[in-house]
Amino acid sequence: MLSKYISKGFTRRTFLKTSAAATAALGLPKVALAAGEPIKIGFLAPLTGAVAAWGKPGLDGCMIWAERVNAAGGIMLADGPHPVEFVAYDEEYDPAKARTGATKLIREDGVSFIMMLGGDPWPGVQPVAERTGMLFSTLLPSDLSPDTKTLLAPAEVHPIYNVTGVEWLAQNKPELKTAVMCAQDDALGLPSVATYLAAFEAAGIEMLDEPLLFDPATTDFAPVVTRLMAKNPDIICLDTCYSDYVHPIAEQLFQQNFKGQIISCTADFYDQMIAKTSKEFMEGFIFQFPDFDDPALNAENVNFQDPNGFYAEYNKRHPGQWGAVSWEYASIMDLWKVAAEKAGSADPEAVLAAMKDGPGNHAFGEAEWWGNELFGIDNALVGDWPVVAIEDGKAVIKEFRSIPDWYNRHGDLLIKHMQAYGQMWDQRG
Amino acid sequence: MLKPMMFLLGAAALIALPHGLSFSQQEILVFMVINILLVMSYRLLTLTGEWSLGHVVIMGVGAYASALMTKNLGVPVPLGMILGGVAAALLAVLLSFPLFRMKGFYFLIGSFAAGEIIRLIWKRFREPFGGVRGISGIDPMPDFSIGFYSFDFFEPVSYYYFAGAIVAFCLWVLWRIEKSPVGLTFHAVHWQDKLAQASGVNLRAYRTLAFAIASGFAGIAGALQAHYVGTVNPNSFDIEVMVFVLTWAIVGGTTTFYGPILGCVLLTVINEIVLRGMGFEQARPLFYGAIMILSILFLPNGLESIVQKFIPRKSAAKSDRKAEA
Repeated sequence: MLSKYISKGFTRRTFLKTSAAATAALGLPKVALAAGEPIKIGFLAPLTGAVAAWGKPGLDGCMIWAERVNAAGGIMLADGPHPVEFVAYDEEYDPAKARTGATKLIREDGVSFIMMLGGDPWPGVQPVAERTGMLFSTLLPSDLSPDTKTLLAPAEVHPIYNVTGVEWLAQNKPELKTAVMCAQDDALGLPSVATYLAAFEAAGIEMLDEPLLFDPATTDFAPVVTRLMAKNPDIICLDTCYSDYVHPIAEQLFQQNFKGQIISCTADFYDQMIAKTSKEFMEGFIFQFPDFDDPALNAENVNFQDPNGFYAEYNKRHPGQWGAVSWEYASIMDLWKVAAEKAGSADPEAVLAAMKDGPGNHAFGEAEWWGNELFGIDNALVGDWPVVAIEDGKAVIKEFRSIPDWYNRHGDLLIKHMQAYGQMWDQRG
Repeated sequence: MLKPMMFLLGAAALIALPHGLSFSQQEILVFMVINILLVMSYRLLTLTGEWSLGHVVIMGVGAYASALMTKNLGVPVPLGMILGGVAAALLAVLLSFPLFRMKGFYFLIGSFAAGEIIRLIWKRFREPFGGVRGISGIDPMPDFSIGFYSFDFFEPVSYYYFAGAIVAFCLWVLWRIEKSPVGLTFHAVHWQDKLAQASGVNLRAYRTLAFAIASGFAGIAGALQAHYVGTVNPNSFDIEVMVFVLTWAIVGGTTTFYGPILGCVLLTVINEIVLRGMGFEQARPLFYGAIMILSILFLPNGLESIVQKFIPRKSAAKSDRKAEA
């Protein structure tokens, strides 16, 4: 096979300027779909390795989403309905592999949209996004910056929604006055630390110690937990630890007889945590990601289509695998589908314009495009977020709380702590 | 006459190679070329009998140094790459003082500890290393034209030619070092250390020299990667990546110059192209592990032992013909 472009004096730069026809051949974002041709969506996330728990369940959820949408007639563009299919690439949470994956998805598979977990791999993909104009989504808005206009955070505003859990605790358990926190020392842990610090300060909960940052390679959590418990706190906060850390930390807390309140961003596979500890120990554990069989998700303001049916189908196919991201990528696809149908096209530029034309139908209700102060660009969709507690061995939504309302009251605290941890968009390396 | 012809054909094949590949395969080719330099620099260190677990971190030192010099000090990218290599070599000389008080297994563990300290420094000091997020927006190699070809370094083909030329030059230097008296002394330090010492060879100085040279080339590999991907972070140089380098060296073999190259090329192709292409995206670690175990069981001397089976026969046939004449 000859190269898809001729080397002599024929760079991609000149090529982009001059050759629309060749653009289509290369599978760049401007590619036009034939009538009825499947719309390809790229799934560029870690499917293996330590961070796979925030990639693989999302792909499983997307497969169910695609089957349901295709069964209902597909995506209705200006030229008629199109089925949708996902093309996955395992980026192993590595920027170099993410770059390779983005290149493959855009230039070989001809995808119209790419969903990522984000984090460390994003800077490797950023030049590809800027050169091709491809529309990307991330679950981590800390990837957002004014440099890349085509990156959106439409599902979750990690870690800002963590403030809702702390605020709920402060109002419903006012006897809890002190807290300590631990987190893995990485790009996911640190912005979350800053957010929890702001939330605790806003709630009048005293931090008894500096956040305990452990190395991501840590496997023995006994010393970590011993140090956390040494100050005898009312609350132990597990920040946004990966499930590989949350489980052993919870186990250690149980073994070291912790009796206080635990709050965490996630509690993926919490049934396994209950099995390792006890139902009584896990009672009242606060986190932010509901099971989708929760009756509260059948409320009118919730935009996720048939959440209970989706959850049942997911658990039938992947028993015990439901996690924080199982529904998130699918919820991004709900937004993308609405925008593509509004634009009548799968073209990234047209979909982006349609998506940002007014408030968005976030999974948990209508939300605003927001984030200029924190991320330098209003590309994060922010609205209500649920506070979830484990009650009698089952995750239960306690309340939906407004993130913008909290930010309007305490935004200065969040910015202060984000700056202290170097997490503002203009402080990144 | 045959040798220059073979060389020219090989060079032509390498120049034509990316044009027979898909876009993503071209990207993989770029990283494979960089990894060849990394594993070959590692092999130079192993010549003295020392195996390190910090070589990938040293590669990171080159990447960070080049990124910082180009981004903060305005050093031109090509010069930054060279200085990245120099920084890695200088750091290796510094590290050699504590590390070469140890040998064998203790050196292995010591090198791992030294690497982790460096990674922790990158994480702890947001200024200038960017903390856990590392450094992004690293200057790419500036585009240029040489009349008949325009280098656009966003494109994998252009970067493959650029990195390939640098790696080829570095491999040539490594080859010359190995075949020089210094290289022979490296072998002596490994296999006949007491005898070499008795002959007046300063073992520690030669181990330090090998460590510094190997680190310098690893640093250049890191710089090449940093200016292509545009970002570096501490996790990109962790022990998992080091395990890959060890695997390439072990599966390929380290007694010949080409052994680690064979290991790197074959395992990269299997892992990144064949298994992905066959749809085993998520089962790749399983297959990769199985290949490792099988190769250790059935090819204990590495892939190079297969090639070696044919080379002695040729030499023997030549000698037989000479004898007959």
